[in-house]
Amino acid sequence: MRKLVVLLSMFAVGLNIGCREDLLESTPYGLSTSADFWRNGEDVVAAVNAIYEPLRDHDFYGHSEHTFSIVEDDQWRAGDHSEDQSIEELTYDPSNPQLAAGWRSKYEMISRANAVLVNAPGVEMDEDLRNRSLGEAHFLRGFSYWRLHVIYGGTPIILEEDVLAGNFNKPKASIDEMRSQIESDLLRAIELLPVNHGASEAGRVHRGTAYGLLTKLYVYQERWQDAIDSGEEVINGPYPLAPSFLDNFRIETENNPEMLFSVQALDVFASTAHRIYTTPRPWGGWDFHAPTQELVDEFEPADPRLDASLFLPGEMVDLGGDAGMQEYTTDLSQTGYHFQKFASWRTSGGLDGGQNVPILRSADVYLLVAEAKIRSGQNGDTELNAVRARVGLDPKTNATMEDIIHERRVELAGENQRYFDLLRWDKANIVDIVALLAEDRGNFNPPITFDRNKHYYFAIPQREIDVSNGILEQNDGFL
Amino acid sequence: MNPILTKLGKMAFFLVFTSFSVSLLAQQVPISGTVSDQAGNPLPGVNIVVEGDNVGTITEVDGKFSLAVPSTDAILVFTYIGYQTQRIPVANQSTLAVVMEESIFELEDLVVVGYGVQKKGDVTGTISSVDGEDIQNLPVPGSSQALQGRVAGVQVVRNGGAPGERGRIRIRGTGTINNADPLVVIDGFPTSAETMDDINPNDIESIEVLKDASASAIYGTRAANGVIIITTKKGELNQGMKFRVNAYTGISDAVKTVDVLDAPTLAALKREAYTNSGRDIPEIWEDPQFQVQRTDWQDELLDQGITQNLDISLRGGSKTSSYAISAAYYNEEGMIKNSFFERFSFRINSDHQAGERLKIGENLQLTRTNGNFLNTRSAQTGVYWSSIRFHPGLPVIDENGNYGTSQVSGEFGDINNPIFTVDTEDDQTTATRLLASVYGELEIAKGLKFRANFGVDGTITDRDEFLIIIDDQIRARDQNELNRRYTEEYSLLAEYFLTYNQLFGDKHVLNLVAGYTTQQFQHEFVATQRRDFPNESPDQRFLDAGNTITDSEGNRTEDGLVSVFARANYSYANRYLLTATFRADGSSRFAEGNRWGYFPAFSAGWRVSEERFWNIPFISNLKFTVGWGQLGNQDVARNQFLALIGSGRRYSFGGEEAIGAAQSRIPNEDITWETSEILDIGAEVSLWDNRVLANINYFIKDTEDMLLPVPVVGSIGRALVPDRNIGELRNQGLEIELGYKNTIGEFSYHVSANAAFIENEARSLNAPFLESPRYGRPNQEIARTLEGHPIAVFWGWRAEGIYQNEAEIANDPGIANDPRRENGLIQPGDVRFQDLDGNGIINDQDRTVIGDPHPDVTYGLQASASYKGFDLTLFFMGEAGKDIYNADRMQGLDASYPFNLYEDVTGRWNGEGTSNSIPRLTVDRNNLNHRTSDLFIENGGFMRLKNLTVGYTLPGQYSSRVGISRARFYVTGQNIFTITDYSGIDPELGYITQENNLQLGVDYAQYPQARTWIFGLTLDF
Repeated sequence: MRKLVVLLSMFAVGLNIGCREDLLESTPYGLSTSADFWRNGEDVVAAVNAIYEPLRDHDFYGHSEHTFSIVEDDQWRAGDHSEDQSIEELTYDPSNPQLAAGWRSKYEMISRANAVLVNAPGVEMDEDLRNRSLGEAHFLRGFSYWRLHVIYGGTPIILEEDVLAGNFNKPKASIDEMRSQIESDLLRAIELLPVNHGASEAGRVHRGTAYGLLTKLYVYQERWQDAIDSGEEVINGPYPLAPSFLDNFRIETENNPEMLFSVQALDVFASTAHRIYTTPRPWGGWDFHAPTQELVDEFEPADPRLDASLFLPGEMVDLGGDAGMQEYTTDLSQTGYHFQKFASWRTSGGLDGGQNVPILRSADVYLLVAEAKIRSGQNGDTELNAVRARVGLDPKTNATMEDIIHERRVELAGENQRYFDLLRWDKANIVDIVALLAEDRGNFNPPITFDRNKHYYFAIPQREIDVSNGILEQNDGFL
Repeated sequence: MNPILTKLGKMAFFLVFTSFSVSLLAQQVPISGTVSDQAGNPLPGVNIVVEGDNVGTITEVDGKFSLAVPSTDAILVFTYIGYQTQRIPVANQSTLAVVMEESIFELEDLVVVGYGVQKKGDVTGTISSVDGEDIQNLPVPGSSQALQGRVAGVQVVRNGGAPGERGRIRIRGTGTINNADPLVVIDGFPTSAETMDDINPNDIESIEVLKDASASAIYGTRAANGVIIITTKKGELNQGMKFRVNAYTGISDAVKTVDVLDAPTLAALKREAYTNSGRDIPEIWEDPQFQVQRTDWQDELLDQGITQNLDISLRGGSKTSSYAISAAYYNEEGMIKNSFFERFSFRINSDHQAGERLKIGENLQLTRTNGNFLNTRSAQTGVYWSSIRFHPGLPVIDENGNYGTSQVSGEFGDINNPIFTVDTEDDQTTATRLLASVYGELEIAKGLKFRANFGVDGTITDRDEFLIIIDDQIRARDQNELNRRYTEEYSLLAEYFLTYNQLFGDKHVLNLVAGYTTQQFQHEFVATQRRDFPNESPDQRFLDAGNTITDSEGNRTEDGLVSVFARANYSYANRYLLTATFRADGSSRFAEGNRWGYFPAFSAGWRVSEERFWNIPFISNLKFTVGWGQLGNQDVARNQFLALIGSGRRYSFGGEEAIGAAQSRIPNEDITWETSEILDIGAEVSLWDNRVLANINYFIKDTEDMLLPVPVVGSIGRALVPDRNIGELRNQGLEIELGYKNTIGEFSYHVSANAAFIENEARSLNAPFLESPRYGRPNQEIARTLEGHPIAVFWGWRAEGIYQNEAEIANDPGIANDPRRENGLIQPGDVRFQDLDGNGIINDQDRTVIGDPHPDVTYGLQASASYKGFDLTLFFMGEAGKDIYNADRMQGLDASYPFNLYEDVTGRWNGEGTSNSIPRLTVDRNNLNHRTSDLFIENGGFMRLKNLTVGYTLPGQYSSRVGISRARFYVTGQNIFTITDYSGIDPELGYITQENNLQLGVDYAQYPQARTWIFGLTLDF
């Protein structure tokens, strides 16, 4: 009898395990599939939020985007990434890993923007929210192509129809095609985006952001009147310069109306590595992007932006926590300086992860409009002097391009503009980048051979050439 | 608790409980005697039964026995493991002196196959067996390491010697770029290869490796990479209780370290590098305080390790029940400080004859492992990697009591003090596992049996990691963090099958097996993270003490497998053997329509030596076999047929958290299993009364529909692109196993050797190449998988020495058009690379295949001998014809990194004729002297004395006085010496990632393997 009980109980258990008809059905527990996404406005907003996220990537504004600027005379690469040497000195190979950094982040933004542009029109949702969402997607896609185009020149353009067709391995577009894609995305964004957002949505792109970037595009294209018209939408819109220059770089005030676009960072939850890269090693940083003496010398004697932008020897800095007040000394940096725009410390100690990374400010747009006016034979004093007046500097009269070059250099120091400004000014014969870079100014500005047939754009990452199976072609001069 | 677990637990308990019932024996005609071995030593524990009856006994400690037999016609059968069975008629004898002869290779031995056993002589598939005795008491955490080198065609690829580190087992080459681990079946329960080391090797009776399709097709869609069947020790019927204690303890030490520069030389050579680059020398290299040699970091990091094992076992049986109970503790403290692994294990196996027709039994295994796994695989943060590179002029602890730090200067690199890292590391993983199964076997009619097996394999894994605030090291962390990750995995098995064995006439033998099985897998995890712990003391490292909840996640996956299988073996007159196998598997891993796979296999054997015409007396056995079949591999990432949306993309607006969602996977609805097709031809020969045994097999194994992660263009973004079933891979090779056994007087010896020659080739990829993980922070590409080559070949430039002077540079046509030459960026002392495309520029088009990490041959050699009480075993293993990419040395010669350098750089080029292999020192990367090239490829072949054991067994007359039937003492060494040309620490290097096999044999400064010496004893009571 006992045996029978054993045997029967074994079968009972066995059948319990064995005869499950649904055993071959796979349930994706806790996973969301595209079949049950795009249900409502909340899903669309989540999808739009996700477009912004790659901006935080280490390989994008977290660090690598700034590496493309180390060629310029304002900063020395510093740090300990030995592959940066050949970037700074323009002797790199297309397989240099820094070139590949950010390529994917930008295309991921494009991919997420495309997903919104494909799906959001069919979702039942509030119409204003839909417009805002589509506008953000258009802007962020256009912005990604903008960054791709200033760095690499032409790259593959992936749009909604390519996503639907699964067509991602495309030849690179021409510079003109890139620019017209960026323009059309920005114009759509201007139509769709609201003028502004409430405080709780600060950091979302708005109409002013789109006009600002459009202004920059038109200046790069030397479409002066378009640039002026577009820029004046910013200047005359609710995007005034912050009362203090420093407001743009302090966590409490960094989301002021002047900041048209920045990478939003929230301590612990969603920060970026950028603050760590630009600060001294003993202060918890990694000591990259050291400002050079040439940059320091560029500031006018009374310009408060020098002190606001850089740590200067003798300056006392509160590192919070146990470290407390510390004196900045020259031995903290090889060049003698660090940027201070991009970092601050918590009162409890440690670098504060709430520090945003600025991308586009109204001040930049003011200077672009001034430049467009000057280069089209008009007077750009008003816009230039607005920027100078904020920091208490004397106005210029009949300002020249030389004044613009100076003002952009000190106003936007370290903000990823100068190298790309130098490139476009060289193309327009306003500066001689070859001579500028060839000059030997010591260890931190070594002579660099700039080849105009090669170096206006960086090389396309070798990996992308390799996997495209012949479809993507390398930029001129790198073959 | 899972209700099924509860039920099974209760049942297992019940079965164990009943196993202790012992029956008494009846007695009639008395007979007594002694049993000894050929050397005259008494043999305790020899099993003696009366043939055709259940009457029996076992010999005492002194080899003596006595029992009563029913009549003088009785025949006594003496059996003892490792000795030939003897049948002795009682006749009129009342005392017997029996001498047991050691068994040679037995064709009648049973071999465990899937869902049954077969006589070795009848096997037509390719199966290799490892006797559990050969892997006892080795200082290894589990049987996967013990298997290394013992079976032809089985390679155990080790990636370092961290405590508890298990090798990756490759049967007949790497069968796929995906998970190529074999299926492991433990006492009939199919499980994953990762868990085979949960078994105490001293509990293993035998390991069978099923290598060809015919042997393994019965496991269908999980058998493509071979099957390993582990059988644990059971008790024997009619056997008195045997109590055994195994204990060993020993030490392990580093065999070798890397020679690096001392602080003064480093500073001098850094100054030279800056000078060579025409740059100002950073002040830090002139600073005398960093030119004092303070620390040998490798020496500080490496300590003496300790390995200990203690296990006890009880085995025995009554007339109807047998049992085996064992408990074990294994502990390994590694030679890198604070690295450890420990395992507790407990096992109960029991079998019961519950009547004439019904047999029931169970296997129960409980294991708890605990270990930490220091990072030793990263060329950015690995601790051993760091110890090679950390500045030698920095102290372990400075005068203020703080850890030495590289925060002083970017010139000292982004490395944390490795001693700080290991001292503060707090990351432990504990796994608790229950593997239990019960069976019932009913004899329905003569030769026809029905068997049902049910089992559960449950593991709870708990990872507890606390990351402290780091503010005085360069890789800082500004908030502390506790991560707790808790995983539960269950696999539930049900099997029902019929076996039928029948002899027709006197020549036709038919064996049939057919059955139905389901297996269900469940995996569930929760993980949570808090930060901001005001107090870091160990008693505050609990979630409640953290102020900010930063992460919390959880998920579940389920898989199901439903299968039917059948096998038929037919033999005619012991001469002609046929096997046909079939399995159909339905798997939930794939979309409907692609779920069912069908796996047939056939094999045939011809025992030529059984033919009447056979008259070569010294060849006692000669058998030829041929087999063909198809197998599957379903072990690929789940849900690839679904388009997944990943949520939790973090951003913020206006200082408030914002969560995003984006597509994380593009679907492939057509995804299905990989299929392998194996053709196998073999010969088995035994000579001189089976003293010599040889097996030779040739095989071709083609993997089709291999799932490939096609490298995708970056313009798709970051979403995972699914694998596609588009690859083809071939492994082909020859396996040889030889054995020889002989006894001369009291001296007996045994030699066995094996070798495998296996070639691997990616035949079709439908993609230009497959990518491998990149090396270090500069993301250097070292390996690629390309059509027409083995997987994971090294990919880079060919170097042709060093430019000795300006004229060589000016005259080199390979750089005639290279702008670097024109700009003076190539200097004497730089490496000359080959311009393969002949365009006068060294660029990415000049890359080619520069090495193959797969060995041409792997081999093992074991020799053992015994004389009187002494025994000696030597075990060598090795590999030949493989390349290693010594990436660690490549980086260690490159002064553009802010790290310490290999001492080899003292032999650098520093003037014409000074070196043709180590380039000049420079901080520039203009010529990329240290790009991936054959300059850093080394011959990785080696032969290693893996184990040496010397043992002594105390004569029975002494040990028995203290109640010990057998006492053996031994000393075992592991990794005693290695013969190799490889300049790095260890030529045994494995796969870099767990996920795939796309990078192999690259030196990342992995955890080195130690040399271990243990002293141990085995006592039988």
